[in-house]
Amino acid sequence: MYGGGNTFEHIKSNGLENEDPEKLAQFEARIERGEKIEPNDWMPQLYRKQLIRMIEQHAHSEIIGALPEGTWITRAPGFKRKLALMAKVQDEVGHAQLLYSAAETLGKSREQMIDDLINGKSKYSNIFNYPAFTWADSCFISWLVDAGAIVNQLANARGSYGPYCRALDRICAEESFHLKYGHHCVIHMATGTEKQREMMQAAINRWWPPMMHFFGPSDKISVHSEILMRWKVKMGSNDDMRNQFLDMYVPKIWELGFTIPDENLRKNEVTGRWEYTEPDWEEFKRVINGDGPCNKERLAVRRTAEERGRWVREALLAPKTEYVAPLA
Amino acid sequence: MESLDPRVNRLNLSTTELTSKAPLDQLGTYEVFSQLKEDKPYFHVGPVHAPNCEMAFLFAKEQFSRRQTCTGLFVVETRNIKVSVFTEGEDTVYNYISNPGELANGNTESFELFHLKKRGKQHEYIGTIEASSAEVALSMVKSEFINDKPVYNIWIIKTSDIESSQDEDKIIWDTLPDKKFRDAIAYKAADKIKEFKERQ
Ligand SMILES: [Fe+2]
Ligand SMILES: [Fe+2]
Ligand SMILES: [Fe+2]
Repeated sequence: MYGGGNTFEHIKSNGLENEDPEKLAQFEARIERGEKIEPNDWMPQLYRKQLIRMIEQHAHSEIIGALPEGTWITRAPGFKRKLALMAKVQDEVGHAQLLYSAAETLGKSREQMIDDLINGKSKYSNIFNYPAFTWADSCFISWLVDAGAIVNQLANARGSYGPYCRALDRICAEESFHLKYGHHCVIHMATGTEKQREMMQAAINRWWPPMMHFFGPSDKISVHSEILMRWKVKMGSNDDMRNQFLDMYVPKIWELGFTIPDENLRKNEVTGRWEYTEPDWEEFKRVINGDGPCNKERLAVRRTAEERGRWVREALLAPKTEYVAPLA
Repeated sequence: MESLDPRVNRLNLSTTELTSKAPLDQLGTYEVFSQLKEDKPYFHVGPVHAPNCEMAFLFAKEQFSRRQTCTGLFVVETRNIKVSVFTEGEDTVYNYISNPGELANGNTESFELFHLKKRGKQHEYIGTIEASSAEVALSMVKSEFINDKPVYNIWIIKTSDIESSQDEDKIIWDTLPDKKFRDAIAYKAADKIKEFKERQ
């Protein structure tokens, strides 16, 4: 779950009445004990379905998320930044590979997932539908969008599905580089010329609303997924994740002398929670349903790559091997 | 559609309706195993998809050994891995493995064995066994490699099904220590922040 938003399908009927009650009890006891569920273990249909949906969206987010940063590689200031950004983008695409494989162990084929991204059926993290105008936007993404992703990923790594957790352990190890690299970039801008500081502040102003959307709709309006929490599919509510992010990163942004474009943003020392202006959830809905500044471009880039690389994959078609779901 | 990125604009993006793509992404499945240091056992690191063994190996090298250290890597087609039953608690897989009778009938091959010793973790290399079949190999491990700790699952792979790095290939990892730019420690900036705060 790269961003918490819109990740889970609305559960109309959980279908649990069709599950074997004894097996269900054993399954829940195993999760309760902190054991991981593995691909060959019994699991309820709903668990399988929601996990596929979540892991697949996470994988798509890695692929699409590599696009806004990827386009900045050639324009990154200097050799070191180019090298680092290239390494980061390679990591993100690698994350998608790991995640697709984890979802495959649950029974959805790779072919189908990649197709559902291209034909527009599957979602990915909403934040990547916004444009990266300047180098400072790229710095914001590397530091703070990744920071948000890390909050989600660290939580999910403690979830119940073995293959997803193992993929996330590898991913989180690499994310620590992304976070440090991104912070390094922003610090450089913050301690640079007046112009650099202005650029960075402008990027923060642009990205703050989508960053607040990143963790998904407020708990007040989002569907409560108590059962997904109990099954350790969802590891925290959207508001909890958002609060954790604010707690860790707002002080770090302020420390660099930047402001955040929300006059109501403050930590309530009594409750320990952050208070802020309610994000515009209508905009969030509009963008996630296709009407954001970059939705069309992101999918078109992906699809153009698919079409123009087709001859390579046709040449690779050598049916000596067989597609099967990965083992673990 | 006008992009902010000049490179994207030069791509001349296709703007036709979203449709299904050609079904060309269902390449074969391979499992990857790696060794981090000479004296450490190989363990399962994850799957890759590729059209053949050589490409699976190259992809695996990029995907699973581009940081820190690596001294060996191999890939095997997922369909060629024999998987035992799974057990739980204190129950070991070896309780379910029986002796198939005739052990040696002259023609033997070598098999690689992997144990799952902790639920939720990866399979780890245990040893190589010469046997006439995977089943016979399993029954032989019982006496050779197990102690009182439970084993929850076994993978067994015919050695000849493996595409592995050789000693002379190890130079592919020689440059890993130079790639500090891939690691968090290369981006220290605490001094810069301190200096900045002092200036305020
Ligand atoms: Fe990532
Ligand atoms: Fe990212
Ligand atoms: Fe990242």
